[in-house]
Amino acid sequence: MRPQRRFPPMADPIQTARLAYRLIYLLLAVLVIFLRLLPLDTTPTSWPGPNLLLCLCFAWVLRRPEYVPAPLVALVFLADDILSQRPPGLFAAIALLGSEFLRRREAMSRELTFLIEWLMVAGVMTAVFLAYRLGLAITFVAQSNLSMETLQLVSTVVAYPLVVGLTRVGFGLRKAATGEVDAMGRRL
Amino acid sequence: MARDRNGQTDYVGPIRRIVVGGMVFVLLALFLLWRIDSPRVERFRAALVDRLVPSMEWALVPVTKFAGMVEDFQSYAKIYEQNQELRRELQQMKAWKEAALQLEQKNARLLDLNHVPLDPKLTHVTGVVLADSGSPFRQSVLLNVGERDGIRDGWAVMDGLGLVGRISGVGQSTARVILLTDSNSRIPVTIQPSGQRAILSGDNSAIPPLDFLEAADQVRPGDRVVSSGDGGVFPAGLLVGQITQGPDRRFRVWLSADYERLEFLRVLRSHETPPVTDSGGLIAPDDRLGPPPPPAEPAADAPATTVPADG
Repeated sequence: MRPQRRFPPMADPIQTARLAYRLIYLLLAVLVIFLRLLPLDTTPTSWPGPNLLLCLCFAWVLRRPEYVPAPLVALVFLADDILSQRPPGLFAAIALLGSEFLRRREAMSRELTFLIEWLMVAGVMTAVFLAYRLGLAITFVAQSNLSMETLQLVSTVVAYPLVVGLTRVGFGLRKAATGEVDAMGRRL
Repeated sequence: MARDRNGQTDYVGPIRRIVVGGMVFVLLALFLLWRIDSPRVERFRAALVDRLVPSMEWALVPVTKFAGMVEDFQSYAKIYEQNQELRRELQQMKAWKEAALQLEQKNARLLDLNHVPLDPKLTHVTGVVLADSGSPFRQSVLLNVGERDGIRDGWAVMDGLGLVGRISGVGQSTARVILLTDSNSRIPVTIQPSGQRAILSGDNSAIPPLDFLEAADQVRPGDRVVSSGDGGVFPAGLLVGQITQGPDRRFRVWLSADYERLEFLRVLRSHETPPVTDSGGLIAPDDRLGPPPPPAEPAADAPATTVPADG
């Protein structure tokens, strides 16, 4: 990315768009965390909602990876760890690794149909949840019960297409088509 | 990353990997630090939450209120039935009130006859719920009172009626309350008519089960459960709830506190009961052994010798 920037002096429109989208991602993440912090229902739930941050991150990484740089991903998940009383750092590290795994397959995934992409994402999400539980087990941290976490994993996987649809409708984020170029004529 | 779509040498890939690897390393190091020195990191977390969440209060409070209004508005739809029901309930309540008044008078008379001293030290600080835990696996709420209001770890928290949980984690202006339903919550309780002791252990369900119950056959659904004060953490006699029996025949507790809508909570100031350390002095007719033996004392030399020896 960086060595190609040969048009520094003017206000670079691509740069501005990129910054704007990064800001939007950050705001969405803050919104998700904020909504979860609202003390609306303090009784224990029997159906834990999806981990929307994970859906959001994976959906954006597979569409426009340059809008969700790795430091931003790490920051968002670390903040989520700290605010939602999880052991700080572990889930963030695993989610970051998962997003990097998908990021490297972004170009490959352009040719895939959505169903295959969904399967791939579901696989990565399962791996993330398993790795998280494994990490907690290795360090002897008390874990929440398996059935609840499994339910959360399932609802996260189910929520993924919805998040993808919303980002497409709401923010016009699609996969780059083969051979598509940006405003500067560079291939995406 | 060998793939290079622009026909240029890719300098970014390896550097990227190092950066990402570094970040993963830092995050894992933070996790390990938490594992090794959890109190310090938790204090850092409390401080951070203390800084962040009150600054969101301007948004948290209106949205919560608004959601509450929407919920209330939905109940307007059934206002007629509700009205009828309330009238019926009111009628019953009047009867109960009469009974309660009589009982209260009777109780006061009996207490007076027995010279029972009531504990005057149970005062409370009231706080407003700012946020909940943010995770479906943790049951806790954040209050807007903290260290500056004198809140300390371990104090009991109630709503108007029953026990809600205990303080765990205090920031400058916020404090976290671990609810009785959290899977880390363990509270010693007494079951009222039979006097059985048990531990109320939260398990992330709305009706937490009882553990270490001695004689289960003496306990019935409907019995009152109050805190027992064992272990000196909680004051004794706070209402917790009623016994119920789950489908698995295990005794569980319907909590009296209204967990649906936790809004204003009372933090009870509990003062440590002074521990009894020694087994008591020797009781002997010797005049050096303590203040009680007043009768036959030579008044002339006693104050000069015994008082310093006592202290």
